Amino acid sequence: MRAQLPFARVARSFHVPWGVLPRSSRSFLQDLPIFAAGLALFYSMLTLARYWSGPLATQVEIDLSPHALPVYAFYSVLRITVAYFLSLIFTLVYGYIAAYNPRAERLMIPLLDILQSIPVLSFLPAVMLAMVGLFPKRQLGLELGAILLIFTGQVWNMAFSFYSSLKNIPEEMREAARLYRFSWWQRFTQMELPFSAIGLVWNSMMSVAGGWFFLTACEMFVLGKRDFRLPGLGSYIQTAAGAGNTRAIIWGLAAMLAIIVLTDQLVWRPVIAWAQKFKFENVEAAEAPRSPILNLVRRSRALAFLSRKSIAPLREALDLHFARSNQGANTEVRTTRKWFLRFIALALAAGIIYEIFRSAVLLTGLTHHDVNRLLTGGGATFLRVVASLAIGAIWTIPVGVAIGTHPRLAHVAQPLAQIAASLPATALFPVVLLGLMAMGAGIGVGSILLIVLATQWYVLFNVIAGASALPTDLKEVCSVFHLSKFERWRKLILPGIFPYLITGLITASGNAWNASIIAEYFHLKGDILSTNGLGAVISQATDDGNFQLLLAATIVMAAFVVTINRLLWRRLYGLAATRFRLD
Amino acid sequence: MSTLRKLANREQWTEAALLLRNVSLATAAQWLGGLPDEQQQKLFRLLPPDLAAGLLGSFPYYHQYILLHTRPPNEIREIVDQMPSADRMHLLDALPEEAWQRLAEEIGEAIQKPPVDLPKKAPPVTPVARKPVVPAEAPTGEPIIEARAIEKSFVQPDGERIQIVAPLDLRICPGTIIALLGASGCGKSTLLRILSGLAQPTAGEVLWNGQPLSQALPNVAIVFQSFALFPWLTVLENVEAPLLARAVGADARRQQALSAITTVGLKGFESAYPKELSGGMRQRVGFARALVVQPEVLFMDEPFSALDVLTAENLRGELLELWQNRKIDTKAIFIVTHNIEEAVALADRVIVLSRNPARIRADFHVALPQPRDHKSPQFVLYVDFIYKVMTKPEEQVAESELQKLQPKPPRQMLPHARPGGIAGLLEMLADAGGEEDLYHLAERLHMEVDDLLPIIEGAVVLGFARLEEGDARLTPMGKQVAEADIARRKLLFRDAALTHIQLFQQIVNTLETKSDHTIPIELFRDILDEHFPDNEVQRQLETALDWGRYSGMFSYDPESERLVLMAEPVAATPQNSPATTS
Repeated sequence: MRAQLPFARVARSFHVPWGVLPRSSRSFLQDLPIFAAGLALFYSMLTLARYWSGPLATQVEIDLSPHALPVYAFYSVLRITVAYFLSLIFTLVYGYIAAYNPRAERLMIPLLDILQSIPVLSFLPAVMLAMVGLFPKRQLGLELGAILLIFTGQVWNMAFSFYSSLKNIPEEMREAARLYRFSWWQRFTQMELPFSAIGLVWNSMMSVAGGWFFLTACEMFVLGKRDFRLPGLGSYIQTAAGAGNTRAIIWGLAAMLAIIVLTDQLVWRPVIAWAQKFKFENVEAAEAPRSPILNLVRRSRALAFLSRKSIAPLREALDLHFARSNQGANTEVRTTRKWFLRFIALALAAGIIYEIFRSAVLLTGLTHHDVNRLLTGGGATFLRVVASLAIGAIWTIPVGVAIGTHPRLAHVAQPLAQIAASLPATALFPVVLLGLMAMGAGIGVGSILLIVLATQWYVLFNVIAGASALPTDLKEVCSVFHLSKFERWRKLILPGIFPYLITGLITASGNAWNASIIAEYFHLKGDILSTNGLGAVISQATDDGNFQLLLAATIVMAAFVVTINRLLWRRLYGLAATRFRLD
Repeated sequence: MSTLRKLANREQWTEAALLLRNVSLATAAQWLGGLPDEQQQKLFRLLPPDLAAGLLGSFPYYHQYILLHTRPPNEIREIVDQMPSADRMHLLDALPEEAWQRLAEEIGEAIQKPPVDLPKKAPPVTPVARKPVVPAEAPTGEPIIEARAIEKSFVQPDGERIQIVAPLDLRICPGTIIALLGASGCGKSTLLRILSGLAQPTAGEVLWNGQPLSQALPNVAIVFQSFALFPWLTVLENVEAPLLARAVGADARRQQALSAITTVGLKGFESAYPKELSGGMRQRVGFARALVVQPEVLFMDEPFSALDVLTAENLRGELLELWQNRKIDTKAIFIVTHNIEEAVALADRVIVLSRNPARIRADFHVALPQPRDHKSPQFVLYVDFIYKVMTKPEEQVAESELQKLQPKPPRQMLPHARPGGIAGLLEMLADAGGEEDLYHLAERLHMEVDDLLPIIEGAVVLGFARLEEGDARLTPMGKQVAEADIARRKLLFRDAALTHIQLFQQIVNTLETKSDHTIPIELFRDILDEHFPDNEVQRQLETALDWGRYSGMFSYDPESERLVLMAEPVAATPQNSPATTS
């Protein structure tokens, strides 16, 4: 026994360092992907800086070989990313002002509602020309134009979400912040931003998905006699479709799908898992979303070190700086700021009035024939939207209910549906059109199918959510009373999914109008396919550089959307929120 | 009885006094009570002090006060001295502040409230300088917060003013725990927010250590009912947040926060998130966050009402212990509650607020030593007394002032009670022999007075019950309802609502005169809008719909947003009873 003691001591003394080392080397391995990611990011920034500051090339030759795809994909992803961060900044500023300035709120929220209804694609020519005018010599102008368009497609729902989150912060929490005299910075970082985080994350996901839709449309377009092309995935797919190159189309779609799936795994999953801590609830959810990537980031020692050395001291310095300046706050500063704000508001109002006047002058140039086209086109597109919503609803309701009520089916079908839905309809249009033409159908019928393609998913996913939320006890009641299948649908399922169905249809309807701009007028294999409709009028006016018609058509479409929202959807929504609420 | 009345009518006071002397005390009290007020006072003036002292306890406290003042000051003192100790204590505690002060001045030092009345078994009070066991109103230093004629009202879109808090004065002095009691929605939280500087009074001013609150940076903290913690911050970060706002550096911040966390007994939970904690622990974090700034006045807005009974009891005990052992650096605590027992258990001083608008109904000191035994007779007396104050009809408060402020007569307000609840209460009362003490009623139902009061008020406005001195009593009509079957009950309910309640008369009359028997609900919203704030209008309408539907008067069609007259129920059989809308 005694003889063994020294050995034991030696063994123990060796045990300590060896026990630590393997762990630390493993954590170095864990950090490798993060270093790699950092390097890649740095290299991309360099590439981008070179490309953006390069001379203007409006008509890039799009290389249809698969080797060109990674670069194109990179440019497209970047456009969406930049547009997204622009949207985020805009969202924070707009939502903040709207939520805290009652006078501005009365103007800003209805404005948001209208902006949301305006078909983004009709902004395209104006924005592009303005941006190219701003940077006539650099690629940056064209890029900024595309980014701004994607931005206008992404930003509104995010701004709405942030605004309503701010409005819903519990009063007592606000009082705590006021009582303890939080600086605006502390209020923003410790209360407002965390409270809005979850809403912002979900809306960001939706926005970025929508971003792909617009990206495909605005990377390649004709404006008057000028043919604009930006290197990117969208223009790759469109060029491939124009050339009838099926192989390239499939390559492009596959690349897009891969990017979407990767973004989901590498960005959204970790962000959602991370955002769980901002959930405003009293109990911890039993099944919280998880993400291996998030775990990797959390366990990384290098990142922890970096954040300890840079972010934490910076944060502390900022916190203390604002806390100190908050304590010396006096009213004088506020009055000067007030005057400044007033001046800005006045300048804005003047600008708006001037622009309205200018557009009114522009509109006087419309001919009788134009007006006629607008009205019949509006009617035709309206019917097309109704038809596509009906078709969408007819197939999605039974399928959605089946998926929602059968967990085993949902297990298989839901991921498939999600992948299918994630492909932007604009990227699929050329493929579908080629197929339709091969079958001998024209764009008149085809456009309805295209709109269905762009909108059906909103309905489907909402119906699935509604069906899976049907209370079990009510389902059991139906079984107990041996209700026939028909009765069951009439008494339980349809009323039960009604609120969800309405939510889905509202979103779908808004998108259907937007999709009509692409669906009713299409460049394919050097031909122009078009049918009678408001969307076609907008696209054609864009092609011809006919600005007065473009403006008029945009106004008519926005008026259609706003009117339908007010007259139909808002009422149905009210009905859904009161009479068909299940709780 | 009739003998005494005859003697009184003939103004033969000496004979009357002699008569009272020769019957038992209970009979004497009953006879004296049966006389008109004026005669009572004349007779009382002539009673020998010992008899007067014995009889006094059987009158309500304000009545006692008036009777006492029929005598010269030296006799008042003699009578009060000779009163049975329980009676005396009850009287002194019950009297409103000014009355008590006047009485105290009149009778000098004769009364030392607590000592005589302490239950023999009560443990000795810990001699803590900050918690003086002296008559309540003895000034214990300059007030920290002084409210002068503060009031709160807001203006409706149509220009009419609605008053939430009537002008009132209030002083928070160091060394006291003040409890503010009142039914829900009576404006007590508004008052707390004005005193703490979170809200501005419409008129009047709040002084903080003699300085206007708007210019001072008051060092106060609030413990909120909903805890109001930031769920995304850890316990430590939550407690550090107020210090960060004061620009305290990282190390000092952490140290002070840790010490506060240790004080509330959460050591070891610093890095937990609030949602990982139980409700009681979460409120402890709330306490730590409030205490970490070392507030001069600690405000608490129903801090225990979101917790279960046991946890609340536990936390209350710990709070008291911290306070009594001076482990917290707070000079005064101001707690808003609707739980009467909580107020009596914690507070040195209790203020009862009335409703619509809030004014001080009673303000008195609780002279019980800590720890307080919830079952002790004195404790129960306090609780009972507060029940009585809270249920006393409103006319007691200065009527003229009310009229001055409100040009129109105040609109009858529907209590927010469900018809089924009212019927249930009537049945309970019938079971109890037609009469029951409110306190017992609440206890039997395991309800807060807050939840019980609307139901009782409902029964009262319908004429099914009466409230007398804290007792609910069934009227003959109420008895009928309690015994009726469901269909008949609805009919009785309908009749009562139409007889007693203006709103239902208006609605049914209007519906009957219209040819299609429907009316947009907007009309009644407008009518109510003139009298109530927005959210109250909504509640009034909801209650009205509830009652209307129950009694088969009218229903509501959400699609057209109209009220629809229901066919008058002719035969009261279950089949014909009006169906409620699905």
